Amino acid sequence: MPLVVMAVLALVGCILPQLVAAKESSYLIYVLFQAFLFLTLAQGWNLVAGYTGQISLGQHAFFGSGAYATALVWNSGLGGYFDPLTMLLSGFFAALLAVFIGIPLLSRLKGDYFALGTLGLGEILRVIVIQGGEITGGSSGLILPSGGYTSITVYYYYSLALALCATLTVYLITRSKTGLALVAVRDSEIAAAANGIHILKYKVGAFALGAFFTGICGNLQAYYLFQVTAPNFFSPNWTLYPVIICVLGGVGTVTGPIAGAFALSALFEVSKEWLPTIHPMLSGLLIIVVTLFLPRGILRTKMGR
Amino acid sequence: MTLATLLQLLINGVLFGTMYGIAAIGLSVIFGMMHILFLAQGTMIVLAAYCCYWLFELYGMNPYLSALVIVPAFLLLGQALYHGLFRRVSVSGVFPSLLIAFGLMSLLENLISVLWSPNPRAIVADYSGYSISLWVLHVSFTRLMAFGMAMLAAGGVTLFLKKTLLGKAVRAASENMEYAMLVGITPHRANGVAFAIGMGLAGLAGIATATVYPFDPNFGFIFSLKAMIALALGGMGSVMGALAGGILLGAIESFSSYVFSSAWADAIGYALFLMVLMFKPEGLFSPSPNGNRK
Repeated sequence: MPLVVMAVLALVGCILPQLVAAKESSYLIYVLFQAFLFLTLAQGWNLVAGYTGQISLGQHAFFGSGAYATALVWNSGLGGYFDPLTMLLSGFFAALLAVFIGIPLLSRLKGDYFALGTLGLGEILRVIVIQGGEITGGSSGLILPSGGYTSITVYYYYSLALALCATLTVYLITRSKTGLALVAVRDSEIAAAANGIHILKYKVGAFALGAFFTGICGNLQAYYLFQVTAPNFFSPNWTLYPVIICVLGGVGTVTGPIAGAFALSALFEVSKEWLPTIHPMLSGLLIIVVTLFLPRGILRTKMGR
Repeated sequence: MTLATLLQLLINGVLFGTMYGIAAIGLSVIFGMMHILFLAQGTMIVLAAYCCYWLFELYGMNPYLSALVIVPAFLLLGQALYHGLFRRVSVSGVFPSLLIAFGLMSLLENLISVLWSPNPRAIVADYSGYSISLWVLHVSFTRLMAFGMAMLAAGGVTLFLKKTLLGKAVRAASENMEYAMLVGITPHRANGVAFAIGMGLAGLAGIATATVYPFDPNFGFIFSLKAMIALALGGMGSVMGALAGGILLGAIESFSSYVFSSAWADAIGYALFLMVLMFKPEGLFSPSPNGNRK
C-alpha cells in the first residue's frame, strides 16, 4: 500500500509540471513545493515521535541549524547553489547536533521532559544565533547570493525528490528489523530492553535521522529565501507544522503524513484566499479538533506497522 | 559591583521571579493530577492580562480589584476547558493532551492577535512608576504587589490542598488514582478541580503581569517556557518548590542580565533548565530519591 502511494506520488509529481502552463512562475507549483517540504519535515518528525515515541518539540532547532550551515558553507566559498555537498553537509550538521544533544537528553529524559528539553534547545539556539555577531550576522541574519535563481520548478523537483526519499526511508525502516526495534522502544522500553535492544542507540539514531531530513529542509528553504534569519528559521512553526501534519494524517504511519501534508497545504491556501484574517488560528483549531474527534488521523489507519 | 547593587539586583530578581512562580504553581497542580505539562499556561496568562487591561481601559477598573472578576472567571474557564477538551482524551495517555494544549496555545495566541492586534500593551496607572525607597534600595510598588499576590496564591493553594476535603481529594487522586476511586473520588471531578486551580492561578499571574510588564500576544509561549523552567528547577508536583523555582529563575535572570545582557540571560536560563532536567530532574529543592534518575 505505501509503495503504491509513493509510486503514484512520484509519477503524478513528475508529469504534473508538464501539464501546467507558465510553470516557471506557477502558483500551483509553488504550493506543491511547500507541500513536499512539509511532507519531508513531517516524515522526519514521524520517525522520532510516531515510530520511536519520543515527542521532539525542537525540530525548528534542526531546521534552523541546517539553514545556517548552508549559509555559512556557501558564504565561505566551499559550497554553492543546489550543490549536493552543501545539501548533505546541512543535513549532516543537523544530524550531528541531534547526536550531541540527543545522547544526554535521551539517556535521561522521557516523555514530557524530553519534549520540554527539545523545546528549550530551539530557544537556546535562537538566542545564540542572534547573539552570534559576525559569524551568524546577528538579528539581520545572513544573505546569500541570489543570482542563480531561475524558476520555481527546480525547487519543485528537488522538494519532490526529497519528500519521496524521506517517505521511502521511513517505509524501508518500518519494514526492517530496525523499525521493529523502534516500535518496541515506543511501546515498552522495559520489554524492548529485556529483548536485548539497545534503547539509547535506537532513540538517538531515529532522532538524528529525523534531524537530518529536517536540516535538509532548512537548506532548501534557505535556497528559496536567499536570506537566513533567526526569527524565520528558528520559528517554532517549523515544529508546529510537522506535528499537525502527522496528527492530521495519522501518527506512526507511512502514508498518513502524505495525506496530512496535502491536507494542510490545501487548507492553508484556501484559508489564505478566503479567510485571510483567521488563517493563523486554523492550525491550532485543527490540532484540537482532530485530536478530539479523529485520534487516529483522517485516514483512520491503525497505529503501528 | 557594590553591595547595594547586589541587593537591588536580588530584590528585582526575586520580585520578578514570583510571577514565574505563580505560573509554575498552576502548572505544578495540573501536572500533579494529569501528568501533562500544560503548554498553553503562558498564553492563558496573556489572555488574563488582556482581560485586566480591557477592564482597566474601558471601565476604569482598578487592576487589583479586577482579580475579583478575573480569577473566578478563569476558575470556571478551567472547568470548562477540562470538561470540554481534556476529559475525552484523559484516558488515552499523555500524547493527545500535550497536543491539545499545543493546539490551544497556537489558537489563543492567534485569536488574541487577530482580535486585539499584535501591538504590545501596558497598564499605565498613577502608581505604575511609584517605588518605595528602603535604605539604598528602590522597590517598585507594582512588583511588590505581584510578590504579595504570589505569596497569597501559594498560601491559598497549599491551604486548599491540605485542609479542605476537596483539596485532599485532589491530592489523593494525584497520588494514586485507583485507590482514590476506591474511596469514592471521581477522577474527572478531581482533574477538573486541579485544572480550574491552574487556570485561576493563570488569571492571577495575568493580573500581576499586566501591571508590571508591557505584554503582547506572543509573550505567552516564552512565559510558558519560563514557568516550565521554574517548575523544573523547583521540582514537579510541589507547590512551594514551584514558587521557589520561579524566584530562583528570576534572581538568576536578574544577575545574568546585569553581568551579560538580557538576551544572554534567556539563554542562561534555558541552559540551566536543560542541566537541571538532565542531572536533577526531581528538582533542586527536593531530596534525591535514592539517586534514582529515571
